[in-house]
Amino acid sequence: MKTRPNPIHRLRRSCTALALATSSALAIGMLPATVSADETCVSPYSPKITGQEQFVHVWTLGVKGIGDEQDKLVTIDTDPESDTFGEVIHSLSVGGRNEAHHSGYSDDRRYLWAGTLDTNKIFIFDVHTDPSKPKLHKVIDDFVKVTGGVVGPHSFFALPGRIMISALSNNKDHGGRTAMVEYTNEGEYVETYWMPTDDNLRGAEKTGKYADGYGYDVRFLPAKNIMVTSSFTGWSNYMMDFGKMLNDPEAMKRFGNTAMVWDLHKRKPLKIFDIPGAPLEIRCAWGSNYCFTTTALTSKIWLIYEDKNEGWTAREVGTIGDPSKVPLPVAFSITADDSYLWINTFMDGTTRRFDVSDPFNAKLVSEHKIGSQVNMVSQSWDGERLYFTSSLLGNWDKKGEADEQFLKMYNWDGEDLNLVFEVDFYKEKLGRAHLMTFNSNELFETNIAGKKEELGDGVAVAESTD
Amino acid sequence: MRPRGLSRLAPGCTRGHGVVRLLAPGFLAVAFSALGFAVGAAGPVTDGPGDYKGSYDSPDYVTRSFSLESRIGKKADLLAIVRDTPLGLPPLPVPENNPLTREKVELGRKLFFDRRLSLNGTQSCAMCHIPEQGFTNNELATAVGLEGRDVGRNSPTLYNVGYKTRLFHDARESTLEQQAWQPMINPLEMANPSIGWVMAKLREFEDYDGLFESAFGERGMDMNTVAEALASYQRTLLAADSPFDRWYYGQDAEAMSESAQRGFELFSGKAGCSGCHTIGEDHALFTDEQLHNIGTGYERAMAPAPTPRPVTLAPGVFVMVDPDVVAMVSAPGSGNDLGRYEVTGDVDDRWHYKTPSLRNVALTAPYMHDGSLLTLEEVVAFYNRGGVPNPLLDPRIRPLGLSEQEEADLLAFLEALTGDYRPLVLDAFVAPIGDVGSRYDDSSPP
Repeated sequence: MKTRPNPIHRLRRSCTALALATSSALAIGMLPATVSADETCVSPYSPKITGQEQFVHVWTLGVKGIGDEQDKLVTIDTDPESDTFGEVIHSLSVGGRNEAHHSGYSDDRRYLWAGTLDTNKIFIFDVHTDPSKPKLHKVIDDFVKVTGGVVGPHSFFALPGRIMISALSNNKDHGGRTAMVEYTNEGEYVETYWMPTDDNLRGAEKTGKYADGYGYDVRFLPAKNIMVTSSFTGWSNYMMDFGKMLNDPEAMKRFGNTAMVWDLHKRKPLKIFDIPGAPLEIRCAWGSNYCFTTTALTSKIWLIYEDKNEGWTAREVGTIGDPSKVPLPVAFSITADDSYLWINTFMDGTTRRFDVSDPFNAKLVSEHKIGSQVNMVSQSWDGERLYFTSSLLGNWDKKGEADEQFLKMYNWDGEDLNLVFEVDFYKEKLGRAHLMTFNSNELFETNIAGKKEELGDGVAVAESTD
Repeated sequence: MRPRGLSRLAPGCTRGHGVVRLLAPGFLAVAFSALGFAVGAAGPVTDGPGDYKGSYDSPDYVTRSFSLESRIGKKADLLAIVRDTPLGLPPLPVPENNPLTREKVELGRKLFFDRRLSLNGTQSCAMCHIPEQGFTNNELATAVGLEGRDVGRNSPTLYNVGYKTRLFHDARESTLEQQAWQPMINPLEMANPSIGWVMAKLREFEDYDGLFESAFGERGMDMNTVAEALASYQRTLLAADSPFDRWYYGQDAEAMSESAQRGFELFSGKAGCSGCHTIGEDHALFTDEQLHNIGTGYERAMAPAPTPRPVTLAPGVFVMVDPDVVAMVSAPGSGNDLGRYEVTGDVDDRWHYKTPSLRNVALTAPYMHDGSLLTLEEVVAFYNRGGVPNPLLDPRIRPLGLSEQEEADLLAFLEALTGDYRPLVLDAFVAPIGDVGSRYDDSSPP
């Protein structure tokens, strides 16, 4: 084990302290500069790796005709001092093509919850016993049944002892109406919170014209007791061929146009905002009172913020690309000082750096070509290393030679992205590379991630009749 | 039994009082509300997708969404509906070797909504034939199957499917019993690897214990009884007694608007629609059960290189998207369909598709075998233009020369073909949805 200076911090306390100091502020301009951000998108309730990440886990979609054709958690060595730096050191297949998509750590970072949008299975990996060799700990295969018909578990975001899951669809019509779902860290179902609809706003204020009941991402601003959610589309759309969908005018109406803020503690929706064109990922300035989201179809940057006069509201603050070219903004990352966003556009395989030091005025700074297509981006806490993967959805990825599948790691020198290593996921017979999460032995060796009673080794499968 | 056997009346003839009068929309809303059904500006929850997208192309679009919890069911006596066949339909033909029983219908309905009957537990019959969406899918032009595979054709409605003698758009199947297994083992749809694999899975589901024995006695569960149960449920989905039926067969002069009455005259006269969408003296199925080339398939297959087309990005927001952009993310060859030719190999069958019934057609958008026409207005305009000229075009398809008023009248007639479908939708809402990990509990709320 190599020694590094103080690479990991539990930032939960510092965030809270900062929040207390600023809780009376109602306008962004009144806030002091914040020190919190994502790494790139770990829950504010979780410890962060602020030094060198040792491993990246890539939740990977199986592809028919490639390798063992099934979904897998791929682990790549990212320690520059390691002999296997930049190489795949472990791959754990889970069976089936389930439309592997996003994943998220439990609050103690000892388990990684990895969701699937098609079969709705949730794979819980033990990533602490040996971070270089994750083990499958539990499979939840009755998500739809126990939640009352929620389909497409998407984002997994840690609360203390709990996991909040945003979803995309339902088992009645495979459309976009859906819910938030809460589980315990142990994998026990807690509650389903259906998204507000016009006939039942569930106490929320419909501030504009839309209350579509759709869902996508979830983030928390603990200091403000706020949960933020966004909206995408249902199973029929996210599972079908992308080109087929673009040619289907009915299908193109089935996208979300809303984001919401919730009372985090009560799990109650407060306000529904009109954000037209499928607002997807949400990235927050943790200790502050604002979050960004980007719209996949209309190619805009929106700010969801607490206004001095209006309270929580939303405003368009930037343009990412020409919508007629379908740039399709997908994942983005916020720097640790909340000053910059890295925004990926899938169709042109480009990442764009925006200056958001004035969050009301996002300014494009530079563009960097990553590949023929690009989806996810994760950056180290210090912002010096960025990782990109290629896959958006199994049937939305480009076809033919343009369907590159990779993880690429870059160093950022302040002006340019310099490629350090690349893993070709097709050449390695792995599949489509999707969500990345960082890991490090030091999270557990230093006890920074705490220790909990073991839940038992091996694989436990939720009860099923089939 | 309702009166039947009335001959077609000449235009303008006065009819007697009908059995049921068309309820005013306001009355309907109040009635549903009193029953506890969600009602909004988009209509009751039984009347279309719960996330209404009407006028989505306008910046003034507002959502009128329903919660999924508002799908509150009410069990219907489906056998009674069959016994007292709705006005306008002939007696339901039921195979001698598969008589309808309550147990079979109940079992068939359970199978119909069971997502576990697909390879990966995500697809049931009802995922493409959604009850409140006309037992089709109003949200997609063509169906999406297992793992998002392109089924390639629009999901046909199941209303009155029990009368069909030829099934699927290409008429490749002849009975509901024989048809039942096709989606289950079609790799594009539910994609099960074999019938035996499905049977083995079904035998492991505790919630089916005893149900096949109750329905089929000693025969129990086998591939035939699965098909017979599914066929039995679908056979009960009878929806007629429409304003047209009450006007035409029920002699209620006020049951259908004057515009719709003019539309009827066009339908069976100048426009020639009834040449294929047939109307009988004492009942109407609005289909000749034959296959025709009207040009939609030809157009899709043979059209020159596509040009930039409008794509909706948000309510009232469109952009023109270059076809090269779409091609980058399109599976090669997708969307091509040769129709009946794919069954027979006969070159003269290229782009021939079966005549659909027009009953309840207002509930079953989008239209044509490929869902390429979004509204009935577009359908009427399509036929008024004379379809799409091609060497195999049915000779009955020709420019009709309809005026705007005549198009509107024809549309009014088509909208008057909506029958009494809501009991069927509410009954479907009661059905348990089979999901992985499901345990059937009859006492649980729907």
